[in-house]
Amino acid sequence: MLRVYAVLVQLHSSLKFNYSGHERRFKPSLWEVMILIDIIMTAIGYSSSIALAAAGITLIYMATGTFNFAHASMTAWGFYIVFAFHKVFFKGLGNPYMYFPIAMLFSGMLGVISYYFINRWLLKKGADMTTLMMSTLGIDLVFFAFINMFADFLTYNYKINARLIVLKMEDIILGKIAGFPLRAITLVSIIMVIAIVAILQYILNRTKFGIALRMTIENPSLAAILGINPDLIYLASWFIGGALAGLGGAILSLVYSGTPSIGNVVIVPEFAGSIVGGLYSIFGSLLGGYLIGMSEYIVINLIGTYVSRNLVVYEPLIPLIAMAVTLLVYPQGLGGIDWSKVWAKLRGKKEG
Amino acid sequence: MQDIINIIFNPLVLNILVNMAIFLIVTLSLNLEVGFAGIPQFGRMLAVVVGAIGAGAIAGRFMAFYYGLPWGDEYVDETLNFKIVSQINDHLVNSPFQSIMMLIIALAIAAALGGIIGYLASYPAIRLREAYLGITLLAFADAAQTIGKYYDPLAGGTEGIVVPDVFRFIGTGQIRFLGSTLIIFFIGFLVYLFLQSLARSPFGRALRAMRDQELAAKVYGKDIVKLRAQALIIGGAIAAIGGALWTLYTGSFKALTYNRVTWTFWPWAFMMLGGTGNNLGIVLGTLVFSTVRSLIYAYKTELTTYIPINPNWLEYLLIGLVIILIAMFRPQGILPEKPELPIPKKKIESIKASLSKGG
Repeated sequence: MLRVYAVLVQLHSSLKFNYSGHERRFKPSLWEVMILIDIIMTAIGYSSSIALAAAGITLIYMATGTFNFAHASMTAWGFYIVFAFHKVFFKGLGNPYMYFPIAMLFSGMLGVISYYFINRWLLKKGADMTTLMMSTLGIDLVFFAFINMFADFLTYNYKINARLIVLKMEDIILGKIAGFPLRAITLVSIIMVIAIVAILQYILNRTKFGIALRMTIENPSLAAILGINPDLIYLASWFIGGALAGLGGAILSLVYSGTPSIGNVVIVPEFAGSIVGGLYSIFGSLLGGYLIGMSEYIVINLIGTYVSRNLVVYEPLIPLIAMAVTLLVYPQGLGGIDWSKVWAKLRGKKEG
Repeated sequence: MQDIINIIFNPLVLNILVNMAIFLIVTLSLNLEVGFAGIPQFGRMLAVVVGAIGAGAIAGRFMAFYYGLPWGDEYVDETLNFKIVSQINDHLVNSPFQSIMMLIIALAIAAALGGIIGYLASYPAIRLREAYLGITLLAFADAAQTIGKYYDPLAGGTEGIVVPDVFRFIGTGQIRFLGSTLIIFFIGFLVYLFLQSLARSPFGRALRAMRDQELAAKVYGKDIVKLRAQALIIGGAIAAIGGALWTLYTGSFKALTYNRVTWTFWPWAFMMLGGTGNNLGIVLGTLVFSTVRSLIYAYKTELTTYIPINPNWLEYLLIGLVIILIAMFRPQGILPEKPELPIPKKKIESIKASLSKGG
């Protein structure tokens, strides 16, 4: 995170020097443009990670009414799995992308464990929303403890610093412009989000399982009457939710350098994305995640350039404010907007 | 006898004791809001940080002003702060009366700020319900911590500030820490008595009525908006006192060291273990956790020889497991909530007897 600030501050100072006196004409050099492109590309990778994890939070919330705080550690586990397999177990064999499915599977299994041993029990007892949320906090603390132990284990046994991870350099380089490497993660993350959207769209609308899932979410008792097992549906949504968190963490590992407590940092934008997205729409939460992730980078960039460089450090406030304002003012979020109506209105205005 | 003295003066034991007293205050305030009023207060850290800033930065500035020292931006300047504070300490060390007055002023400022925070928190608390409210309060707390961390003129930003030592008059070295721990314990005891009497009062019953059946409370003419705001104001003020005492005890304030795990989730775990809605249960829960933490602390080095991991993580594992197991198997906690009787039981029995005679 601090590295990003450093780059931003550097960028702002270089931009300021380029204002040539009275003309105030902006003449960026190639190097500065490349830094800008680098920031935007990082922002896209980061936002994709947030968007995927936010979709996971929304899915679990829609299915079981549980705000899953354990998403923090599930993301962090995805992050560490890619690191451990790529750097430690296989010593840099191939590229980090090979281990993305393992990260997804592992975090998905964490979701299954959370559901099967804890959440299912509480749902059966009819626990209220606060108890469900509190139980996931407990799960998060346990997973957090394990991730720290895992990091210690790697440090002791492989003599490698596992408490500060930098995988950015291991990324595939697509090409170089003026000495600046174009890393693959931006493209890959976008492709992954599109693929996830397509797969989810297909599963939810075209398969029997998806229809059962939507039905269980809308009316569990009616679904049960028709012979759908809600248990299985909840299990599946926890698995998919966890897997999305794992994928988010895996993407994050190629964008950020991180410590075991990275989950505590990214959980805030993840929740913000899910809430801004409206909590009842997976695609709304993907959109919300992109909005939050990009605004964290771009709004702060604008503020740093036009208002004051000292304000750059307040970046963590953006998702917090977005979250609180959405909940207080427009609780339906982006998912609550009827886009077809908006579109019709826009069209109507153009015609009239 | 010598053994006991050695144990009491052991810095580790003192640390555990003071931790227990501080967390007792914070958890009791959380219990008022969660256990009695039914507000999912996931932003406990907010009032604690504000209280710490109130005692550390604002009361500290007041002391500097009182003793004729610079109290503006110089007070939080990283090169000047400790010089100013050491001058204040020179004044305080010779005058127990002034020290105690300053302690009271610092706590009053903290409580006032905490009350304001509680009042502000009542704005979302009226509009939102359950987990939505919890997440909003959590967001507020994190936002306040971020501002405290980066806004230097408030309380020194990332560098933090040194805080005047109002306990210095007690003595030097370990005696100061022991004395201040006793004072904090005493304040914790007062808070317990206050909240216990509150729980027995009509106000406490109204809060529980609101928690259990809001509509019924409304029907009986209780103003829900006002009740929620009052519970949040009192809870915020008490939590702020907890934060203020912590900052005065450690003699420094750094917003960086306040996080949602320590100041929100731990009190939640203590409360859930002890018994939500039962003040005595809170005392028990905090006692149990403090003891276990102290055991992990004390046997840290021994543990490290057996397992290749840092025993710090055992603490997280333990608290996480306790939260999960309590939520699953005993949601009411070790000491479940009991109906508080407004008058002694004997009196109720005698009234019952006289009524049945009359009927």
